[in-house]
Amino acid sequence: MIPQPRTADLLRGFENAAFDSNAVFRTLLDAMAHPGRIYDLPLDVPAPAGLNKSATAFLLAMADMDTTIWLSPDCASNAANAHLKFHCGSPITETPSTADFAVARLDGDLAFIKKLPIGNAEYPDQSATLILQVEDISNKADMILQGPGIKDSQSLSVPGLPAAFHAWRAENHHLFPCGVDVIFAADHKIAALPRTTRIEIR
Amino acid sequence: MEQTVNNPAQASSAYNFAYLDEQTKRMIRRALLKAVAIPGYQVPFAGREMPMPYGWGTGGVQVTAAVIGPDDTLKVIDQGADDTTNAVSIRQFFAKTANVATTEKTAKASIIQTRHRIPEKELREDQILVYQVPIPEPLRFLEPRETETRKMHALEEYGLMHVKLYEDISRHGHIATTYAYPVMVNDRYVMDPSPTPKFDNPKMDMMAALQLFGAGREKRIYALPPYTKVKSLDFEDHPFEVQSWKDECGMCGATDSYLDEVILDDKGNRMFVCSDTDYCSERQDAGHRGPQHHDQPLGTSHSNGKAAE
Repeated sequence: MIPQPRTADLLRGFENAAFDSNAVFRTLLDAMAHPGRIYDLPLDVPAPAGLNKSATAFLLAMADMDTTIWLSPDCASNAANAHLKFHCGSPITETPSTADFAVARLDGDLAFIKKLPIGNAEYPDQSATLILQVEDISNKADMILQGPGIKDSQSLSVPGLPAAFHAWRAENHHLFPCGVDVIFAADHKIAALPRTTRIEIR
Repeated sequence: MEQTVNNPAQASSAYNFAYLDEQTKRMIRRALLKAVAIPGYQVPFAGREMPMPYGWGTGGVQVTAAVIGPDDTLKVIDQGADDTTNAVSIRQFFAKTANVATTEKTAKASIIQTRHRIPEKELREDQILVYQVPIPEPLRFLEPRETETRKMHALEEYGLMHVKLYEDISRHGHIATTYAYPVMVNDRYVMDPSPTPKFDNPKMDMMAALQLFGAGREKRIYALPPYTKVKSLDFEDHPFEVQSWKDECGMCGATDSYLDEVILDDKGNRMFVCSDTDYCSERQDAGHRGPQHHDQPLGTSHSNGKAAE
């Protein structure tokens, strides 16, 4: 049971729900339509302990009472739970296999990613979106991306991406049309890796 | 007709920004992100009743409402034209409920909502094309059960669609499907491009702009990310072809655009004119003239042209 914080302790959400959530969504839509391209977070939001600004903005814009959120143990905090419950009204789950949105840190234990829902052949959309909080994203050519949304190829570098992630991601890509879409969320930067993208590791 | 509004907060206060409530927009936005991640796959969404009848673009309007922001400039076309009832009413709807700038110029728009045409001018990466879709399921007239068409898409079981195209060939000698011509997206999903003329199909392939499709009555959203392979279904010995015309546009003389036939009288006289009104007027402004333009001397304005397949 999470102790209920007093309202005065809560951080604010969006200043203007309609315009701010639209701005964040448009950034996400652009990011998803252009895999690996790095976008600046269009606004500043306070982030509770455990979450960074991009991940918080993503959840404020996309999550509500219809979506279940799973926070990895290193992202979960009383403040994060209270923030998401108050501003999004989302149920927060302990089991990654029931998550619509999963939030984790890159330096944490990634064993859960194999449990995330991938949808099924008839409804591949019933899959989770993984928001991976990272230190930085850059256009260094550590990964060469190809696929829908990319004209020729796109380079992307996420420092600290472990081999286990790449192994899982290769498997995940192979499951198409099922699979998990990944959002890399640095504090002020966002890049997306939809299930269609092929990765060549340099 | 250019309307520019500086302060979005001045939008008609009786409604939320862009008419839909925030929770509905979030639901549509989630469907849109999935649709972009799975090109050509139809994502179910909880379509709302809109203040216009089904068939008037309720799906496209919901997609536009979820996407549009205060800084966007909206263009709406119906069969290529900016000045028809459907286009004018949807443009006014968003001018009123979202207080956004509207335009008739393809190049100036950041969002273009369309009913059944793709603009002739090449679209850019910073533009979004929103299609109004009546029947999103390309297999629906071949298999009425949704449970079965779901399975067919899951199993990539598209033989029936090729049989349909083959039946066209055996009956007419060529593929007689001229609109809503099925396409294969990213080598995986067969998709209905909405009832655009097949003339527009090649424009979808590797288009720089994001393409979003909304079907309001059927409650489906699907999408084509930029630079996605879109191939019109065909056979090696009957390759896909687009319509062509022997005539040019009567107003601007264009020979490369999709032409509408206009009957002029009961003596068999007719003319052809660009279906894309912005493309046509831009050409006229640049000094291009067709034989029936009012600048042209009388007596030359006749046309006996015939649409050729």
